[in-house]
This record gives sequence, C-alpha cells and structure tokens, in this order.
Amino acid sequence: MTRYSDLQLDALRELANVGSGTASTALSGMLGRSVDISVPSVNVLPMADAVGAIGDAEAEATGVVLGVVGDMSASVLLLFTPSDAAAMCGFLGVEAGTEIGDSALMEIGNIMGASYLNALGQMTGMALEPTPPASATDMLGAIVQTVLAERAGAGDIALLLDSDLVVEGSDASVSFLLVPDQGGVEQLLARLGL
Amino acid sequence: MAETMVRMGELAASAVAGDVLVSLGLGSCIGLALVDRRLGVAGLAHVVLPDSGGNAEPGTFKFADHAVPELIDRVVAAGARRPDLDAVLVGGASMFTVSSASLEVGQRNEAAVRDELEAARIRVIASETGGTRGRTIRVHVATRRITVREAGGVEHDLVPAMPAEAAA
Repeated sequence: MTRYSDLQLDALRELANVGSGTASTALSGMLGRSVDISVPSVNVLPMADAVGAIGDAEAEATGVVLGVVGDMSASVLLLFTPSDAAAMCGFLGVEAGTEIGDSALMEIGNIMGASYLNALGQMTGMALEPTPPASATDMLGAIVQTVLAERAGAGDIALLLDSDLVVEGSDASVSFLLVPDQGGVEQLLARLGL
Repeated sequence: MAETMVRMGELAASAVAGDVLVSLGLGSCIGLALVDRRLGVAGLAHVVLPDSGGNAEPGTFKFADHAVPELIDRVVAAGARRPDLDAVLVGGASMFTVSSASLEVGQRNEAAVRDELEAARIRVIASETGGTRGRTIRVHVATRRITVREAGGVEHDLVPAMPAEAAA
C-alpha cells in the first residue's frame, strides 16, 4: 500500500484548502450569497473503503464530474444530496430534476472546478484544464465507484481531497472532491518539492 | 441472516445457508455471481476494470482477468462442483450521459467478464447490465436466489430461488 508522510498529506490538505477557498468565492459570486468552507480532509484509503468513507452507497445523490487534463490526470466530483440539489437549483431559479436543473448543477461544477484547478495550477506551476461536465442522479455508490474506477489504474489506493461548501444562512451544501490518479498525486507532490 | 458486503475489487464465496452476498450501488462495475446448479454454494465478485495488462498488484481482484479465475477457485473451495457452475451478471452501466469514451468502462467490463466466463466454459444464465442506472445485487447462498434493485426502483428477483440437493 502506498504511504504518504504527514508532511505530504499536510501539503495536499493546504492545496485543497486554497483550491476550495477559490471555488467557494466562485460559487458565492454565482449564487449571490456567502459560502463557507470546511477544513478539507485528505483521505488515503484502500479503494474498497472509499465509498463508505463518503457516505451511504445506496443513498440517492446527484454527481457532477469533470475530467482534469494537462500536467496531471484527475477527476473533480461534486456531490449533492436531493435536498442540496433542490436548494442550489432554487437559488438559481430553476427546478431540480429537470434538464435545466441538471445543467445548472453542471454549471456550478464548471465554475467551481475551473476556479479550484486554476488555484491549484498557480500554486504548483501545473497547466490544468477541466473537461466539460457530466451529471448523474443515482445511488451514491454507483456514482463514486464509476469515478474511482476511471482513476484507479493499477493502484488499489484512492486519494480523496474532500471539502464541504455550505451556503450561509441555509442548509444547502455541496461536497467537492478531487480524485487524482496515482501518478497525479506524485506529480502534485513533486511540484511542491516533497 | 448475515450480509457480507463485497466492495470494489473484493470477492467472496460461501456455503453457509444464512449468508447473503451483497454489492451496493454498482455503477460501471460488474457484480459477477457464480452459483452451483445443485448445491447451496455461491460466490460474488465486484469487478472494477476489464484488464490488468499484467500490472495488478498480487492479491488484488479488481480486474476481470484476475477476479473471474479467483472467484471460480473460491466457490469450488467452498464446495461447489466446477461443471455445475452458472454465472449471473449485474452492473456495467454508463453513469454519466455526457461522457468521454474513457468512462464507457461499464461495457468493457461486461465484455471482459463474459470473455473470461466463456474461456472457463461457464454459461451466463441471467444478466441485468448496461443502461444508465446504478444497481444493488444480493445473492442468497442457500437458495441461489439473486435480487437486483435499480436506483429509484424496488428490489426484484433476477434469478428465483432454486432447491438445493444435499451435498454428496
């Protein structure tokens, strides 16, 4: 099992912190409301444990996924519970569960993903570009496993940089995950000289 | 009744009457069940990717080319008779509708698992694969009853209960 040192994990957490801070500012601008961020968590865990670490595999969720291309391969995954999806769509004046509701959530993914990656790129000197978003409303496990499968490669370890963003004065939140593949993690750490 | 969770890249086999083998929320992954036509023995593998390309770490079973032979060995070790094995496939969905080709791993997973089964001369008696919905599979060991639940749907029988003969 690949191990990362505490120093490396702290550095990854700090990258996630700056990235999600930038993403929260972008979300705030889009919604016209303040957005708070949690301290990001960095989870390095066997792939089999990854879904359970995120939530109930059979719970309904909406996932918006963006690929990351350029100097690092990764996926960005935003997860909304049904009530979060309804609230976010409500802020934007559209109805969740409709085509336009899905496209509003994908636009949130676009804006947050692009700003997160932009911040990450500036800190590490990497060129990072998001690919167009796709969305699915389904079992949480099916969404997360499909993203992990794409990033798994030969490794059996999942590394998840997880931040929660909460819209102030509401219960609406979104979970933002960066899932680099194994080579992507090493790229990130190498750029930081770790 | 004890439920054994078979998570990403894991597999399990059992001949214990009360056991239920479960994979929750299969997306592009394949839940491959092997059942003995006569005996109360069954196994379940949660296949993540089609082909290791020879690069898998030892002891990991997320690739079809490793998982299928290992699952056959495990159910036989649990008491199944090799010529009496049948296969059931669930999963392999395309979760994201606006999708890059690399996300179409569900179809490649199913094709790889079917190829491995054909090479092992094990027939597929039922499957619920493809589409865009996630699925949960439950394999009831004693009766080899297999149920599937799609996201937003109700659990239904994919394979009805079979009577078990006494082990020879």
